[in-house]
Amino acid sequence: MTGFNRRHVLIGTAAATVTARPAFAQAPAEIVIGALYPMSGANAQVGVDARNAFETAVDIVNGMHEVALPGAKNAGLMGLGNAKIKLVYADHQADPQKGRAEAERLITQDKVTAIIGCYHSAVSNTVSVTCEKYGVPFMCADSSSPSLHRRDLKFFFRPAAHDEFFSKGMFDFLDAQKASGTKIETLGLFYEDTIFGADSSNTQRKLAAERGYKIVADIKYRANSPTLTSEVQQLKTADADVVLPSSYTTDAILLIKTMGELGYKPKNIVAQAAGFSEKAVFDAVGDKLDGLISRASFALDMAGKRPSITYVNDKYKARGNRDLNDNTARQFMAMLVLADGIDRAKSTDGEKVRAALAATAIPGDQTIMPWGKVAFGADGQNVDADPVLIQYIGGKWVTIFPKSVAAAPAKWPM
Amino acid sequence: MTAQAFFQVLASGLLMGLLYALIAVGLSLIFGLMDVVNFAHGEFLMVAMYATFGLWAIVGVDPVLLMPLVIAFMFVFGAAVYLGVVRFAMRAKTNSGMVQIFATFGLAILIQGVSQLLFSPDYRSIPASWLGGRTVSIGGVFLPLPQVYGGLISVLAFAGLYLLMSRTDFGKALEATREDQGAVALVGIDRNKVFALGWGLGAALVGLAGSVLAIFYYIHPQVGGPFALVAYVVVALGGFGSVFGALAAGLIVGVVESFAAIAMPPAMKSIPVYLLYLGVVFIRPSGLFGRL
Amino acid sequence: MTPRRWQLVVLFAVTAGFVAVPAVLRDAYLLNVLILTLMYAALAQSWNILGGYCGQISLGHALYFGCGAYVTSLLFTKLGVSPWFGAMAGGCVAAVLALALGYPCFRLAGHYFSIATIVIAEIGLLLVHNWDAVGGAQGIQWPISRDSWWTLQFARNKAPYVYLALGLFVITWLVTYWIEGSRWGYWWRAVKDNTEAAESLGVEVFRSKMAAAALSAFFTAVGGGFYAAFVGYIDPESVMTFRFSLLFALPAVLGGIGTLWGPLVGAAILIPMTEITRSYMGGSGNGVDLIIYGALIMFIALAKPEGVLSLFQRDAKPEAAR
Repeated sequence: MTGFNRRHVLIGTAAATVTARPAFAQAPAEIVIGALYPMSGANAQVGVDARNAFETAVDIVNGMHEVALPGAKNAGLMGLGNAKIKLVYADHQADPQKGRAEAERLITQDKVTAIIGCYHSAVSNTVSVTCEKYGVPFMCADSSSPSLHRRDLKFFFRPAAHDEFFSKGMFDFLDAQKASGTKIETLGLFYEDTIFGADSSNTQRKLAAERGYKIVADIKYRANSPTLTSEVQQLKTADADVVLPSSYTTDAILLIKTMGELGYKPKNIVAQAAGFSEKAVFDAVGDKLDGLISRASFALDMAGKRPSITYVNDKYKARGNRDLNDNTARQFMAMLVLADGIDRAKSTDGEKVRAALAATAIPGDQTIMPWGKVAFGADGQNVDADPVLIQYIGGKWVTIFPKSVAAAPAKWPM
Repeated sequence: MTAQAFFQVLASGLLMGLLYALIAVGLSLIFGLMDVVNFAHGEFLMVAMYATFGLWAIVGVDPVLLMPLVIAFMFVFGAAVYLGVVRFAMRAKTNSGMVQIFATFGLAILIQGVSQLLFSPDYRSIPASWLGGRTVSIGGVFLPLPQVYGGLISVLAFAGLYLLMSRTDFGKALEATREDQGAVALVGIDRNKVFALGWGLGAALVGLAGSVLAIFYYIHPQVGGPFALVAYVVVALGGFGSVFGALAAGLIVGVVESFAAIAMPPAMKSIPVYLLYLGVVFIRPSGLFGRL
Repeated sequence: MTPRRWQLVVLFAVTAGFVAVPAVLRDAYLLNVLILTLMYAALAQSWNILGGYCGQISLGHALYFGCGAYVTSLLFTKLGVSPWFGAMAGGCVAAVLALALGYPCFRLAGHYFSIATIVIAEIGLLLVHNWDAVGGAQGIQWPISRDSWWTLQFARNKAPYVYLALGLFVITWLVTYWIEGSRWGYWWRAVKDNTEAAESLGVEVFRSKMAAAALSAFFTAVGGGFYAAFVGYIDPESVMTFRFSLLFALPAVLGGIGTLWGPLVGAAILIPMTEITRSYMGGSGNGVDLIIYGALIMFIALAKPEGVLSLFQRDAKPEAAR
C-alpha cells in the first residue's frame, strides 16, 4: 500500500518533473507496462489485435530470439537484471474521459512504468496529458493525428508517422506517377466526420492546392451510416482520377460494396490505410479491391530487406490468425521501442525512462518498418518514419513506392 | 443534377426506405399493442444478422434460403424476451414507461456483450451469395439485387401483416387487446399469450430485415445502433402503433435522407430527416397516421 | 422537526461524510469514481426536476450538457474566462435554449415528446460536429496549466474535484428540495399526475413545464462545464451523444424517479458498477463486462421498478408526500 501513505500534495507545474515513485535501489523482477485500447464497442477488434501484437513483442523481449530487433537476443531487459515485461490491459471504450481515468488507475494502482496506446486520437490526447502530469512516458503507438505531438508534452513519444507524413507520401507518389506520364489531374476526397477524417482531409486539401491537383469531390460522411449510396453516387458523378478515402473498417466495407452496386469502378483508389489495412475488409470485399493502393507504415513484402518481418509475422499470425497490418505492426514496433528505452534507462523511474527514450537511436534495419531510423525530435515525434505505398495485387500487398524500397512498379489504373 | 442521377438517388432512397420501414414496423407493432418502447430493437436486428451469418457459416446455405429459419428463431427470441423480461417490467406500478425503457436498455447492453463473447468483436460479412454484389441497370439507374430483394420482402411483409391484422383471429385478438386490455380477459383471451405472440411477431419482422441486411451489410455487436435510431424516428413520424404509418414514414425517411446527402454535406444528412419529424409532430402531435 | 426538515439533516450528514472522504482515501482511481458518482447524481437530480417531478421524459439532455461543456471550454480557451463564470454562462445559454425548444415541444405528449428530445439533441450533435469554429470533430483541448481554483485545473489532486462535484450535487438537491415544498412543486406534480385536471384547477401547465425545463437545463449545463474542466478535453462524441442523455436519466430511474434521494442512490449504484466492471473486466475484450453491466441494470429495473430507494422507505411509496 505504498501509494496510500506517501503524501504527494504539492503538485503544480513541477508535476511533470517530480516523480511520485522512488528510484528502485535494485532492479525489479517485473516491469509493468499499461496498454490502453478499445476492448468493447465498435472498435473492440482493434484492441484484440493490439493485444496480440503486444504479446508478440513482449515475447521477443522477454525470451531469447535470434532476430535483428532491439532487445531480442537476451532474455528480459538486460539493463534491469533481465527483468521481464508484464502487460496490463485496460478498456477505454473510445471515451477520452474513461481513457484518462484508466490511465490514472494504471499509473497509481498498477504502478506502470509507461503507457502505450490508444488508437483513438481523442483518447490518446487525454491519456498523454495524464501521463505528463504523473511524469510517466506515453508511447503513442498508432494514433496518427498531427496535433498530438504539438502540445509541448515532454513524456509523449510517437515512433510512427502522423497523417501529414502519410498524406505527403501519398502526394509524392502521385507526383511521381504524373512525372512518368500518367494523367492525374482530379482527386476525390472521401472521409469520415471524425478527428481522423478531418486531419487527413485537411492535409490532403492543402497538398492538392500546393501541388496543382483539382479536387472534384469533397465528401465528408457520417461514420457508421446505414447507407452511403448518395455519397458514392457523388463520387461516381465526379469520377476523379484518384479517389482518396479515409475510412475505418465498417465504412470501408460499405464504400466498396456500394461502389459495386452503383456500377462505379473508380480509376484508382489511394487509401489512408485505416480500414483498408484490416483483414475484415478484404474478407468482405477483397475481390473488388485488386489494385487498391494504400499508404502504410509497414509492408510484408519488404521481408527481403528486413528479415525480421517474416519472423515476427509468423509469431503474430500464430496468435491472431492474421497477418500483421498497418496498425499491429506499429503497435509491435512501439512496444519494442519502449522496451529499448526502459532497458537503456536501467530504471523504471519516469524521468529516466523519458531521457532514455529521448535518446533513442534504433537504425531502420533493426525494425520491421520501412523507416530510416527511430530517433525522436524534441516534440517526441520520430523524424524518420517515412511511410511507403503498397498495392493489393492478386491477394497480396506489394510495395510500390518510394522507388528505393519498391518491389514492383504500380499497376495503374487499378 | 442529371435526370439519371435524380432517378438513381430516388430509387436508392426508396429501396432503403422500404428496408427502414421493415426494420421499424416490428417496433411499431409492439408499441401499438402494449405501449412499450423496446430500446433493444437495434440489438434484435443485430441478433438476426448474426443468426443469418452463423447459420450461413455452419450450414453453408444461401442466406435467402435461411430466411425462414432466421424468422422462426427471432419469433422465439422475441417471445422469450417478453416472457423473461418485459412481462416483469410491465408490472411496475409507477413510471412503468421508464422501467421498460431501462429494462430493455440493460437487455441491449447484455445482448451486445453476449454477441461479443460468442462471435468476437470482429466485423463479419457474407462475402459471396446469390444476390450479394449483383446489380441490374435500368436505363443507367443501378438497382442492387440485395436491396431489390429486401424491398420485395418488405412489401410482401406489409401485405401479409395487413391480412393478418384484418383477416385472422390472431389479428383480431391483437386488435382487441390493444383496444382494451381489461375487457379481453373477460372474453377468454389470455393477455400474456397475445403479448408474447405480439413480441414474437415484432421480432420476426425485424428478423426478416436482419436476414436481408446480412447479405449486403457488415455485422458486428454495435451494428444495430444507427438503424435503431432511424427506426424510432420512423415509428414516431408514422405514428406510434400505425403499421401503415411505419411504411409511409420509412419511405419518406429513405428518400429525404438520400436527397439530403446530395444537397448538403452528407455528414449532416440526418438533420433534414429530424427536422421533418419535428415539423410533422408540431403540426400533428400524433405523427402522420397515429391515433392519440 | 417535520419530516421535511429531517431531510436537511440527512443532507448535512451525507455532505459531511463525502467531505471527509478525500482526507482518508488517496487512491486517484477511487476518487475518480467518487467524482463521477457525485457528478452523475447532480446531473440526474437536474434531469429529475423535469423528468421526475414534472413528468416530462427528456432523452435529449446531452444537448444541455454539451452546451455547458462547450460554452465553458470556448470561453476559457479563447478568452481566458474562468470556468466558474463559463459554467454559469453555459447554464444561461442552455436555459434559454430549453425555453426556445420547450415552446413547441411541450405541445407533444409521451413518446412523441421523448423522441423529439432525442432528435433535437442529435441535430445539436451533428451541428457541433460539423462546425469548425468550435473545433468540429477535433474538439477543444484545455491548456495544461498550474493547479488553481480559478481555472479549476488540478494535475494530480482529486480532492478539489470531489468538493466541486459534491457542491454541485448539494446545490441541485437544495433546489429540488425547495421546489418540492413550493407552489411550483405542487403544480408540477399536478401536471405529472393529470395534465387536464391540473389545467382545470387553474395550474398554468405550460408555464410550469417551461420553468422546469429551464431549471433542469441550467444545472445540466453547469454539470457539463464541470465535466469539461475535469477532463480537460471535449469533443462532440464525448459530451453530446445519446448515451449521455440516457446516463442522466438512468440513476434517477434506478434510484427512484421524482424523489429527493433517488438520483444519488441510483448514481451510487450505477457509476461504481460501470467503472469497476470496465476497469477490472473490460481489459479482456470478450464482452463479459458488458454482460454483467447490462444484466445488473435489467435486474435492478425489474426487481425494484419503483427504484432502489423504495427498499429504505417503510411506506414504500416514493411519492408518499402527495
